[in-house]
Amino acid sequence: MAEVSARRQHAFRVLMRRHMPRALRVAQRIVRDPVEADDIGQEAFMRVWTHAASFDPQVAKFTTWLYRIVLNLTFDRTRRRTFQPLEDAGDVPDTGPHAVERLIADEELRLLNRAMAGLSDRQRGAIALFHMEGLSGEEAANAMNLSAKAFESLLGRARTALKANVQKIQQTGSHV
Amino acid sequence: MTPEQFRQLAETWGGDVERWPAPTREAARRIAATAEGAAVLHQQARLDRLLAVAPEIETARADRSSFLVLQRLADMPQPHRPAWYRLLRWPALVPAASLACSALVGVWLAGAMPYVHSPSDPLSVMSGVFDVYAMGFGSVQ
Repeated sequence: MAEVSARRQHAFRVLMRRHMPRALRVAQRIVRDPVEADDIGQEAFMRVWTHAASFDPQVAKFTTWLYRIVLNLTFDRTRRRTFQPLEDAGDVPDTGPHAVERLIADEELRLLNRAMAGLSDRQRGAIALFHMEGLSGEEAANAMNLSAKAFESLLGRARTALKANVQKIQQTGSHV
Repeated sequence: MTPEQFRQLAETWGGDVERWPAPTREAARRIAATAEGAAVLHQQARLDRLLAVAPEIETARADRSSFLVLQRLADMPQPHRPAWYRLLRWPALVPAASLACSALVGVWLAGAMPYVHSPSDPLSVMSGVFDVYAMGFGSVQ
């Protein structure tokens, strides 16, 4: 990061190669639209470049800083958005030896994606950071600019709402 | 920690006690060792596994996004730099520039002027001495 602050493009390229997938993954988990996730990822790294001098490694890890930028951009966009994107659960053909198990898992994932659509952006963000990215509660709270207690509450509400949505979908077969 | 508190924590943090807040872990491990505790964790761990599945991001897609970022940076207007001759407007630079110019002219003259080596034979020396005296006493100079 010190080299990025010194405006070295090579260092910035290395940084993007290492962390761009992370930014896209988190953004896509929240906005559920790959094109919009790409936009967010690009905008996040533009901010990393322009605000590199303000990054202080004593205060936070680079990944925490990046998560925070991505989440802020994502929440800003979804606040402005007036429509919901289509579900991104496509069929994945599988001819491998564990095809049946894979089908069941795919079905569960489709169900989960539909249930996730009923959560708020912040709830999806909490799940993405804690479960998908494997951050600790403290790290995730830091990335979301929340206290540990507030993050715990948010994550708990997210999981509860998710289970309720799954049950609702299973009972009615309809979108939440 | 009561079994109800344990269940609530499992519903919040999932089926892996080691990822729960540090102050709760010790007591949670004791309940997790029981059959009821293990069943609660098992149920939550199944959801955890599903939640941990990340959208697949192909390398080509990430690379394309990185390339677009570099392209946007290249398109950004560069910070304005003043033309070199505008630096001469700075009053502090004028004496330094004058000195540098004088030194350059001096060096150039030293290199451009023909080097005349005065002859050192006795006749020429005597002739030179007479010339000097002639200029001092008899010439119009």
